Amino acid sequence: MPTSWPTGKRALRDQRSFADVAEEHLDDVYRYLLYMTGNPHLAEDLAAETFERALRRWRRFDPHRGAARTWLCQLARGAALDHFRADRRRRRREGVYASDIPETDEPVFGEGLSPALDHAVRSLSAAEREVVVLRVVLELDGDTTAKVLGIRPSAVSTRLSRALQKLEERMVSDVRG
Amino acid sequence: MSEASYLVELREAAPQASEGLRELIRTMPDDQRHRRVAVRPALVAAAAIALAIALAGAVIGGLTGSGNERHGTVQASRAPDARTLQPPHGASVQPQDTRQFAPSLTARSRLQKQQIAMRLRVDDLSGATQRAVRTTRRLGGFVAGADYATGSDGGNSRLALRVPVANLQKAIASFTNLGTIVSQHISVADLQTGLDRLDVRIAKARKDGKDRTLKRLERRREALIREGTYARVSLQLTTAKPAHQHSAPSRFDRFWDNTGDILGKELIAVLYALFLAGPFVLVAALLILAERTRRRRADHRLLEEAG
Repeated sequence: MPTSWPTGKRALRDQRSFADVAEEHLDDVYRYLLYMTGNPHLAEDLAAETFERALRRWRRFDPHRGAARTWLCQLARGAALDHFRADRRRRRREGVYASDIPETDEPVFGEGLSPALDHAVRSLSAAEREVVVLRVVLELDGDTTAKVLGIRPSAVSTRLSRALQKLEERMVSDVRG
Repeated sequence: MSEASYLVELREAAPQASEGLRELIRTMPDDQRHRRVAVRPALVAAAAIALAIALAGAVIGGLTGSGNERHGTVQASRAPDARTLQPPHGASVQPQDTRQFAPSLTARSRLQKQQIAMRLRVDDLSGATQRAVRTTRRLGGFVAGADYATGSDGGNSRLALRVPVANLQKAIASFTNLGTIVSQHISVADLQTGLDRLDVRIAKARKDGKDRTLKRLERRREALIREGTYARVSLQLTTAKPAHQHSAPSRFDRFWDNTGDILGKELIAVLYALFLAGPFVLVAALLILAERTRRRRADHRLLEEAG
C-alpha cells in the first residue's frame, strides 16, 4: 500500500500524498499519452515512466506554481518526447518508417468512439492530438494548456482551431468516402 | 455531425487506464530515502546566510574599531605636522612633555640658509619674551624686530631674531622651554652651490682684472655668507587659550561609524560584482532563452512528424 509521503512542510501545506495525487490523475495522464502516441500499450508504459519520474521529483513539486495535473502532464509530455526522440533515432538507424499507431479496427482513443471519429483522430499528428486532448478531453483551460506545452495561450487557440478544423474535414471526407 | 457532438463524444468516450497500470502505480516504492534539497529554499537560505555574515562582519568590525581611540582627535598642544624627534643637545625633555623637536636638516659642511618659525603658548608673556631676547643675545644673535601687544583676552609677542647657525639648536632648545609649542616651521635652503659659483666667477674676474665686477661679486659673496651665518628665527609667543578641544566620539558613535563604513564597502563590493557579472548573466540568460525556443520548436516538429 502506498505510504503517505512526503512529510514536512510541503506535505502539511498540500495535505495530500503522492499516492492520492497519482491515483486521482492517472486517467488524465494515460489519456494524454494515449492521444500523443496513439498506442495503448505504449501509453501505459509511458504513464508508468511518468509516475516514476513524478515520484522522484515529488519533493520538488510546488503546488503554488501549478496544479498537480498540470505538473504531471508536463512530465508526461517530457516522457513522450523522449520516446519520440529515441524512436526517431531508432527508425533512422533501421530505415523503418512505420507508425506507432496499430492498424486495427478497434477504436484506440476510447471505447464507444465512432469509427469515423477515431479514424479522424488517428489521422492527426501527435502535435494536433496533443492540443485536442488537453483542451477537449482533459478540459484544461487555455492558460494551463499553454503552460504544459510551453507556448503562449494565443498559440494554443490557433493550434486547437487548426486541429479541430482538420478533424472535421477528415470526418466529412470519411463520411463521403 | 455538429461540432459539439463530436467533442462531447471525444470527452465521454475518453479511455480509462487499465487495472494493471493502476496497480502498478499503487505499488510504487517509497521514495523517502531520496530526499533532495529544494533549490528555491536553499537559495533563500544561502542569501540569508550571506546577509548574516555581511552584517556580522560589519558589527564585529564596528566593535573592534570602536575600542581603539582615534588619533585624529585635535589636540591644541600638538603641532599639526610635528614629529617626535631627537632633542637638540643640552635640552632636557620630560616624559610627559608634549613639546616636539624639529628634525635636524642642516649640514655643517655646507653653507645653508635656515629659517625657523615657532609659535609657543606661554603663561608669562613678558617674562618669556625677555628670556627669549636674553637667550638670543647670549648665543651671539640679535633681535631684528619685535612686536609686543597685550589685551584683556591675552597677549602676543612677535620676535624676529637672528641666531648664529652654530648655536641654532641651543636656541631652539631654550625657546621650547619657554612654553608649549603650538606650531613650528623649519626651512633650509642650500647656499653652497651659489657660493661655489660665485667663487669661480670671482677668480675669473680677478684673473681678467675686472675690478668692478670683482667688487660686485665679492659684495654678493659677503651677503651670501652673512645670510648663511645667521638663521632667521621668527618667534611668536602667545597667552591665548588653546583651541577648544573637540570631544572625542563615544564608543557607540565609533561603533556606528565603523559598522556603516564596513557595510558601505560591502555594498560597493556587491554592486561591483554585479556590475562585472551582469553582462555574463545577461548573455547566459539569452542563451538559455534561445536554447529553450530552439528546443520547443524542435519538439513541435517532432510531434508534427509523429503520426
